[in-house]
Amino acid sequence: MSHPVYFEDFYAGQRFAFGHYEVTKNDIFEFAREFDPQPHHLDEEAADRSLLRGLSASGWQAGAIAMRLCAEHLLNKAKAAGGAGVEECRWLKPVRPGDVLRIEVEILQVTPHPHRPVGFVKMLWILFNQREQVTRIVTTPIIHRRGHP
Amino acid sequence: MSAHWEDVVIGERKELGSYTFTEDAIIRFASKYDPQPFHVDPGAAARSPFGGIIASGWHTAAIWMKLAVESRTFGPHEAASGISPGFEDLRWLKPVRPGMTLHYSTEITAKRALATRPDRGLIITRNEARDVEGAVVMSFTGKVLAPRQPQGG
Repeated sequence: MSHPVYFEDFYAGQRFAFGHYEVTKNDIFEFAREFDPQPHHLDEEAADRSLLRGLSASGWQAGAIAMRLCAEHLLNKAKAAGGAGVEECRWLKPVRPGDVLRIEVEILQVTPHPHRPVGFVKMLWILFNQREQVTRIVTTPIIHRRGHP
Repeated sequence: MSAHWEDVVIGERKELGSYTFTEDAIIRFASKYDPQPFHVDPGAAARSPFGGIIASGWHTAAIWMKLAVESRTFGPHEAASGISPGFEDLRWLKPVRPGMTLHYSTEITAKRALATRPDRGLIITRNEARDVEGAVVMSFTGKVLAPRQPQGG
């Protein structure tokens, strides 16, 4: 599969799939200690009694892992120059210790800038574990440089 | 103390505290979760349109979560109540550079009962991070499932 580099290489409906990210218990604890120190992310006994019934990663960590996979496999290989946000993020299922995560990306919309040599690429990111979808993210349009200004 | 969905008041606003982003923390987060050149490589960042290292937007947002938990925004029954189905409309409005201090806040904007979950109610929040001049740097709409008061009978 050839990787898109410039804005012109993207089109609506285009799909990509990549990544292999193993989530360890230690990863979950480390992120939670620093950014989301709720008992169901830090304490296995408390997690067993919680609504999610067992230790799970912070949802923000799931989003950050999706970001990681897209940066590594897509954005850093293209002329990506930053995004302005996330239209919607849905945490569908908890991410558990031992999960192996991968991502599927669908290009939703491509919009050239009217004056500048850039364009905007809006994406859907779907993070999967080995069984099912765990997180869905719709990005705001990400800036990509044009190959032919 | 907002132990139950019924106790949460629309319009209630809380300052969550502040956080100063160091270059070291920015690069450490981004190396693991958002390794784009303008987040991890000072040389490449200087040549980018940002003109220097900026924090990953996910880092700016994760600090909101940290401060919200530390200030016990979700009440005393955190293990049961800090569960969220997701968020919407997360905006990274200004770049966050090393040395910047952001002030974080949350405000209850709406409440919704759930037909499918009589034991839980949805709380909608408007969350912000502002710089020292008061400009909004990041904002998003949060959602939290809070336990409802047990129904009699």
